[in-house]
Amino acid sequence: MFLFRRRRALPPLPLTWRRRAGGGGPGPRWDVLVIGGGHAGTEAAAAAARSGARTLLLTHKADTIGQMSCNPSFGGIGKGHLVREVDALDGLCARICDQSGIHYKVLNRRKGSAVWGLRAQIDRKLYKENMQKEILNTPLLTVHEASVEDLLLTEPEPEHPGKCQVSGVILGDGSRVHAGSVILTTGTFLRGMVLIGLEMHPAGRLGDQPSIGLAQTLEKLGFVVGRLKTGTPPRLAKDSIDFSIMERHKADNPPVPFSFLSEAVWIKPEDQLLCYLTHSNAKVKQIIYDNLHLNNHVQETTRGPRYCPSLESKVLRFPNGIHQLWLEPEGLDSNVIYPQGMSMTLPPELQEQVIACIRGLEKAKMVQPGYGVQYDFLDPRQLSASLESRLVQRLFFAGQINGTTGYEEAAAQGVVAGINASLRVRGKPPFIISRTEGYIGVLIDDLTTQGTNEPYRMFTSRVEFRMSLRPDNADSRLTLRGFEEAGCVSQERYEQTSRMKAALEEGIAVLKSLQFSGTKWSKLIPEACIATSRSSPASALDILRHSQVTMEHLARAVPEPLRKFAEWRELAERLKIEAMYEWHVNIQQAEIEEVRRDEALQLPEDLDYFTINASLSQEVREKLNSSRPQTIGAVSRIPGITPAAIINLLRFVKTNRQRTEHIRHSRVGGSLSEGNTLEKNKWQNASLSCAS
Amino acid sequence: MWPGTWRKVFAGLSPTPRAALRLSKRLYGPAGRRDTIFALSSGHGKCGVAVIRTSGPASGAALRSLTGQWELPPPRAVTLRRIRDPSSAETLDRGLVVWFPGPHSFTGEDCSELHVHGGPAVVSGVLQALGRLPGLRPADSGEFTKRAFQNGKLGLTEVEGLGDLIHAETEAQRRQALRQMAGELGRLYERWSEELTKALAHMEAFIDFSEDDNLEEGVLVQADAAVQTLEEEVKGHLQDGRRGERLRGGVHVVIAGPTNAGKSSLLNLLSQRPVAIVSPVAGTTRDVVESAVNIGGYPVLLSDTAGLRVTEDAVEQEGVSRARERLLQADVVLAVLPAGDFVPEPCCIAEALRAVLPHGDLAWRVPCVLVLNKADLLEEGHREILLGACQKGVLPPTCLLSCKSGEGIDRLLSLLRAQLEQMCGNPLAGSPSLTQARHRLHLTSCLASLGRYHSYKSLDLVLAAEELRLARRHLGKITGRINAEEILDIIFRDFCVGK
Repeated sequence: MFLFRRRRALPPLPLTWRRRAGGGGPGPRWDVLVIGGGHAGTEAAAAAARSGARTLLLTHKADTIGQMSCNPSFGGIGKGHLVREVDALDGLCARICDQSGIHYKVLNRRKGSAVWGLRAQIDRKLYKENMQKEILNTPLLTVHEASVEDLLLTEPEPEHPGKCQVSGVILGDGSRVHAGSVILTTGTFLRGMVLIGLEMHPAGRLGDQPSIGLAQTLEKLGFVVGRLKTGTPPRLAKDSIDFSIMERHKADNPPVPFSFLSEAVWIKPEDQLLCYLTHSNAKVKQIIYDNLHLNNHVQETTRGPRYCPSLESKVLRFPNGIHQLWLEPEGLDSNVIYPQGMSMTLPPELQEQVIACIRGLEKAKMVQPGYGVQYDFLDPRQLSASLESRLVQRLFFAGQINGTTGYEEAAAQGVVAGINASLRVRGKPPFIISRTEGYIGVLIDDLTTQGTNEPYRMFTSRVEFRMSLRPDNADSRLTLRGFEEAGCVSQERYEQTSRMKAALEEGIAVLKSLQFSGTKWSKLIPEACIATSRSSPASALDILRHSQVTMEHLARAVPEPLRKFAEWRELAERLKIEAMYEWHVNIQQAEIEEVRRDEALQLPEDLDYFTINASLSQEVREKLNSSRPQTIGAVSRIPGITPAAIINLLRFVKTNRQRTEHIRHSRVGGSLSEGNTLEKNKWQNASLSCAS
Repeated sequence: MWPGTWRKVFAGLSPTPRAALRLSKRLYGPAGRRDTIFALSSGHGKCGVAVIRTSGPASGAALRSLTGQWELPPPRAVTLRRIRDPSSAETLDRGLVVWFPGPHSFTGEDCSELHVHGGPAVVSGVLQALGRLPGLRPADSGEFTKRAFQNGKLGLTEVEGLGDLIHAETEAQRRQALRQMAGELGRLYERWSEELTKALAHMEAFIDFSEDDNLEEGVLVQADAAVQTLEEEVKGHLQDGRRGERLRGGVHVVIAGPTNAGKSSLLNLLSQRPVAIVSPVAGTTRDVVESAVNIGGYPVLLSDTAGLRVTEDAVEQEGVSRARERLLQADVVLAVLPAGDFVPEPCCIAEALRAVLPHGDLAWRVPCVLVLNKADLLEEGHREILLGACQKGVLPPTCLLSCKSGEGIDRLLSLLRAQLEQMCGNPLAGSPSLTQARHRLHLTSCLASLGRYHSYKSLDLVLAAEELRLARRHLGKITGRINAEEILDIIFRDFCVGK
């Protein structure tokens, strides 16, 4: 039954539990149970274990842990920020990417460092191997191969909202696993449906089984579920492609690593593979137009992503455009090429026709057809900012199941869910990343307060405080908090970040204090065009803002005290970026503080917006009820909520707080009201019927 | 419309103890970072005294600049000061000022209060002067109270009723915004906002997608051209703030008519003091006589002019030509005709009026009120015929008046007030000057951001985009629309992005 066990096994002993499992007796209790071994699941399990929870990862097939199910790349614009932030919380994917990449490239180099997008083509096989190795070697983390059929539910804790509490899961063989918190990261497996042409068959990924039992349980519990679709392109055989007539795209030299801990990536710069670019054409368009009747996926109304569209929808929406097709290697020794931009759901023989009329692919062999996936996702507005569900206590959701798309988005949610599941077991306050602190915060706040009606992807334009939330400073934003509040960051990383932060602060202070007249600066650094007319003196930080000036120039001009800052290459680069954005960051700071003040004002989690005696319109009540904002800051971001409604809400909460506390107190005392008893029966029935 | 303007939302709950601890540890920056806000705290419209309040770290500095004295008045004591516009040193008013250093103030921050005379001209003058000071901006509705809450200055009883108050206030603002937005001005701001959003969206698309997708640099060139056009339009618009000027300097009302119609008597009647010499001799007034008065809460500059007639007297000729000149500059004309001088037929009255108005044009662009004076001399029964005649044809609003007996003055005042209201907006329905000051401030800030956009675009695209975001936010504060999704919608509408 077990595939993996961590090397330094710590209690509880799973063997004992295995013997008892079939008998239905209470098995040993895990702190955190993670279901699913994708990008969200691995990060969640590792984060929970890092922050001290005894964690069990349950997956259908242990061999699929760390599998990149779609594109063979990580990062990108906006997504690179997420990877950096996951790394700042000591997450896995950045380090694994630094060990598995075969083509590293920073996007947006010319557009300002706040939007640089770290990206890499990844060797699928290496990524999986390295991820599995990492998961195996994570202390406190155990992996177990099993299918999960149902949730074990018990009475809710009275001091939290929710109609019941999860206490474990029932496996496919009927055995039970108990845990303090459960994290569901089942991706597209909830009622997943694969579509090729007019064919449809239930599955998550091609060749895998969908989770039906769990989907039913969630529905019975009253979770609101929506449906989304996505797709993946056909795969091509490398040796059948004529690359000589395509545009070649080289990787960066030197490659920039994803992780703050990596000095360099594993691969030699010159060993990196190339990517190639080719384009669609009129013939492609014709085939798609002629065969729309054979294409169920495109015809259906389920919402697909607007920014990761299939070739068909691109052609239908922008018929006059020529669409780019990137040919990306899947691995160092792999013969498979991933044609990014060619996601298709036509019948396989027609896909082959499309491929054959593209320049360079005339003789290309299709090794696997493209297909579409339709799947259920959970309306993420049912989750709190810690990713715990409000309906079922201690049940967390992360990844594609929450309506997102992309490995990075999944990993980011995984880390947050893992940390919070672990904190929840220990009775500690949740670890919330605010919109003002990170892209992760924006992602989760958007999801949990606004919901989504298409697969949600990160963009830099979603982020209000883009000047301050940069890839270069993810560590100073999150690492220290992660160490102090969540305990999910290693001592080594904590110290490294503290050192860097102190050096940055010192450097900025020194640069600010160093002031000369414009005339003197222009003599000291003649290669930069520094205005000499300014009457007031300029600081070294002001000078560093000039596009031609680097720390090296400054150190050459004023060796003492600047030399030591310029010699530390990473520090010098970061100081330059800080100088560029300092003015705007300061301006944004006031606004950030305003948002934080509003976010510090918390609303009770169990407000029944439909019955409270506050002057609120029905429309406002419905909006508040579906979004269930946790703070006044979140309320103010819900479209259509008026200022008067906010004040009336606050007034109500303030007057009723004492009363609420009184009621809670009496509940703890053991007197369950009739309503509670009824609810209890309801969930018990639900649980029983699923288990039978 | 609300989520945008209300982003920095009013807050009423004190943080939980744990949150408060966390806040004090890592969230609050130095208190000096906050904006200083100002607003008219007394009701809008005509009132004896208006109270303008500021709150925030720059309150002291603002008080110093406005009073022109380095020394702040003693805390919490009422002091008489001259209040001046710091940019021109022009005196705006003499009023009472109070200085409340934090934390012993309503909001817990440094606060000041200016008690000035209640006319809209004075109030808008002071508000505009405050808006030009660094670090000051008009308060959002409820923002004073919000700060008081955040600083633990408001108890539960004070919160009661606040929601209703804010509701009423925002309702009035909304109605006012709607009124303004329905007009040409609103459509203009809307269009600017749309163009700016589109330019920003194209730039954001270039940032988020150009590396992977078919986005050419041409996108940036287009956005650039759009921004440039917009910049020029806003600049032109700001230089043409006629309506605000009218309020500050007063509306020019010119009294004109033939000699001996009783123009100077009317001036004296409206001024309630003997400003001009009155005599039965035709041609007594030879120069323009001015008098500043308050009509219905609006500052009005009344000008009495020489009677219009052909004359040989050189001095009187000059007087008549000055009268004609003044007529051309008028915002409102009071055409005074002696009631008994003509046949009560519409065409005859029109003929007499034509002799007064420039170019003899009855449809002249300046609004006009026809005053038929010396009603006391009319025979009984004649008035009805005269009034009936006035309602026919194309005559302006008319009233019968007797400067001698005061009969008809109420009707004249109400006609005049209606005319002023149409020109300046109703001060009782939310001060137009206040809105005006706010618009001007946001447009100026918008323009400043557009200017910085140009200096950043070659240096760092993110900073340039940030300036467009700021510019858009300022426009959004006027039109009430700020939405991030909108940008994404434009991106996906205009470009084929994604792989």
